[in-house]
Amino acid sequence: MVIGVTHVLLALFGVAVGIVFGAVPGMTATMALAVFLPLTYAFDMAESLYLLLGLYVGGISGGLIPAILINIPGTPSSLTTTFDGYPMAKRGEGERALKLGITVSLIGGLISLVFLAVLTPQLALLARQFSAVEKFLIIFFAMTVIAALSKGALAKGIFAGFAGVLIKLMGYMATNNKPRLLIPGTESVLRSGFQLLPVLIGLFAIATLFKEAETGMKYSKSDMVETSKDAPKFKVSQLRGQGVNIIRSSLLGLFMGILPGVGGSAASLMAYSQAKTWSKHPEKFGSGIDDGLVASESSNNALTGGALIPLLSLGIPGDSTTAVLVGAFMLQGLQVGPLFITENPEIWTSILVALLVCNLLMFLVMYYPIKWIAKIVQIPKGRLYPVILMMCVVGAFCCRSGVMFDVWAMLIFGVLAYFMGKFKFPTAPFLIGFILGGDLEQYFIEALQGSRGSFEPFFTRPGAIIIWVCIIASMAYVVYDNMKDHKKAKAAK
Amino acid sequence: MKKLVSLLLVVVMVLGLASASASVYEGQRVRVVIGSTSTSGDTYMCTETVCRYLSKYLGADIKVDAVGAAEAFNTMKTAKNDGLTIMSFHDMTYLSVLFGSYDESYSLDHYVIGPRIGQNPGSCFYVRADAPYATMKEIAEYLKANPEETCVVAIEHGSVSHVGFAAYYVWVKETYGEDVAGQFRVALSGSTSTKLQMLWDGNIDLLFADYSGQKQYTEEGVEADLKLKFSGMMDDIPGVEGLPMMYEDGITLAGEPFHFSKDFLFYLPEGTPAEVVAELDAAMEKVAADPEFQAAMDALTYKNAFLPSAEAKTYIYEKSDTMKEIIDAMPSVDDMM
Repeated sequence: MVIGVTHVLLALFGVAVGIVFGAVPGMTATMALAVFLPLTYAFDMAESLYLLLGLYVGGISGGLIPAILINIPGTPSSLTTTFDGYPMAKRGEGERALKLGITVSLIGGLISLVFLAVLTPQLALLARQFSAVEKFLIIFFAMTVIAALSKGALAKGIFAGFAGVLIKLMGYMATNNKPRLLIPGTESVLRSGFQLLPVLIGLFAIATLFKEAETGMKYSKSDMVETSKDAPKFKVSQLRGQGVNIIRSSLLGLFMGILPGVGGSAASLMAYSQAKTWSKHPEKFGSGIDDGLVASESSNNALTGGALIPLLSLGIPGDSTTAVLVGAFMLQGLQVGPLFITENPEIWTSILVALLVCNLLMFLVMYYPIKWIAKIVQIPKGRLYPVILMMCVVGAFCCRSGVMFDVWAMLIFGVLAYFMGKFKFPTAPFLIGFILGGDLEQYFIEALQGSRGSFEPFFTRPGAIIIWVCIIASMAYVVYDNMKDHKKAKAAK
Repeated sequence: MKKLVSLLLVVVMVLGLASASASVYEGQRVRVVIGSTSTSGDTYMCTETVCRYLSKYLGADIKVDAVGAAEAFNTMKTAKNDGLTIMSFHDMTYLSVLFGSYDESYSLDHYVIGPRIGQNPGSCFYVRADAPYATMKEIAEYLKANPEETCVVAIEHGSVSHVGFAAYYVWVKETYGEDVAGQFRVALSGSTSTKLQMLWDGNIDLLFADYSGQKQYTEEGVEADLKLKFSGMMDDIPGVEGLPMMYEDGITLAGEPFHFSKDFLFYLPEGTPAEVVAELDAAMEKVAADPEFQAAMDALTYKNAFLPSAEAKTYIYEKSDTMKEIIDAMPSVDDMM
């Protein structure tokens, strides 16, 4: 029996709790799984899977709520959701944006589930072809989104991106345990460097609070985001024309998922960047366009199935959340690896059914109550923002199980982002540099260790050459697009 | 009447105080930080299993937090010495100081050493199934016969894998000479997943990992590209036979046949009162005697190897001294990359 009432109830509980973890800035799907992992001792394998996969799917999906409504990514992978989701909410289309995001999240999750069910061995083989060299180049490719996002302020955007990478590299270098880029006296608190979640919360939430505080937050209704009764409602027909975008973004999410260690943030950044590149109206990206939201949300949910592929076929977790799942299997006396699917067909079926159930439950749990959740934007900011500040402090404090320095770090990056805004430096490229910088360095070192210091494999491996072509094409397009804009601006003058 | 009530209150207070002082842990919440961020590694598995039973015998609510080495060490520096914050970790606690990854303020002297809660004898070396050698001794002999060849080993700086390789390297140097030892190269890496991918990519030849997690890659039915073979087990695992043991190859550790198990100990903040440690010792003794706990540890291929804190302290200091000799005899990994 791979499904029963208990299983569905556990999945429902997991999805609901996961959504809360995803929606609270500073709390993630990984954290949700780690918290609930010890409870699974009391369950059998199938029950554990329904609970944990529910937390996983819910945790990945919940991030879109604060991203759209208050411009704070609930999880790192929902960063790109803020780019178009928040402008939509500001236009009074918050409910529609949420429903659109939830629907494409479901579609992305289901597409990856189909690939997981049908093509796991083949995709695992594909993943094996990607060495550290290709992974480095893929991360580098994902970083080209910085250029795409910095339209009109290319130099400032690239500067911010590099600053993000440098800040990420502060701390003790993992490979040789030597301090690097540390201010004397900070060796102890910054041993592991700045953590992603406090930085993310600081850059997005705290900076926004400072900005709002500067303008003065009132308790009156006039301070609320306008919600027009005439604002368009979400209809499934609005997905017409998004087919290619959904499939491309879901496949990119799936692909990034099957590459161990590449991560969900890179998936949504890549999908967003490609959606913009191939769009007929790239200039509208960032202004609250459906295409951007669809790309971001379908890709980060497609990651869920993708990340399970290397885990279940190679024993290598695709991301930090599936790494916690390994523990759940071990607690039940099972090892995930190359023989797992053939030796445990019933559990394999349970995983597929559980993932399907969790995706459907995620849709039901989020889609219907969302109209009430969307009303958050109607709460006067003077009341809403203190609550957000409290949640941010709790989230930052919890991200490493109670380290006060992370709260200070959050405030530091809040102040930094506030001043970056004043001097017109974009914060998103800074965060992208910070998110991807660590992986970029890790794969660079691994690749060089493998080649004994030679750069040759970066230019001779067939996979590397293909990725270089993509990088060059992407950069050339950005430069061309910028030049075109300049010409247009000149002509207009 | 007033006197009687006062007397009764005093009696109640005295009894209350007496019962309160009888146990530090009864009804308390205890945080156990571990020196690993992984919830599938041996540190988490061993600690979580122990704590599940320990909470029963202590009457406490114990929560295991996988915070990682740096955070666990720092937590011990700042936590109150009331026994309610404990660190559970293996040999990396002292190795990280011996290797210079952490300064002397993190040395064993700055902890109150608690009981040993278990051992993982399953540390071992693996090579690809199609490698031209099958044991650690054969690797050295292969390198001797092929002076142009190298053997790249993936280790984590300052960890058990580092000292495991150091001990082997010292033995190779003593037995086969400096030239053969010089044919070893090091690739610094972190998680087992990364090391496995490096091995599959052909970037390393020898990896150090845990027995139970990687055993599956040695089994029949695994694709040739992914298949591994054990090349050297560092210690005997109860119930597991027929695998190449490093001591059977004549490899020694400080002059004795090579045996190395990871020792998991509880560490408490400096200044933790002796009665707190005594209570932990007493409860751990009951845990170790619990047949269900024994079965749970067997299932994980870990040893139920309880040692009371006093013996654990002597033991871990002696082990640390032995490892220091090994580390001092090995060149810096920076020169081996």
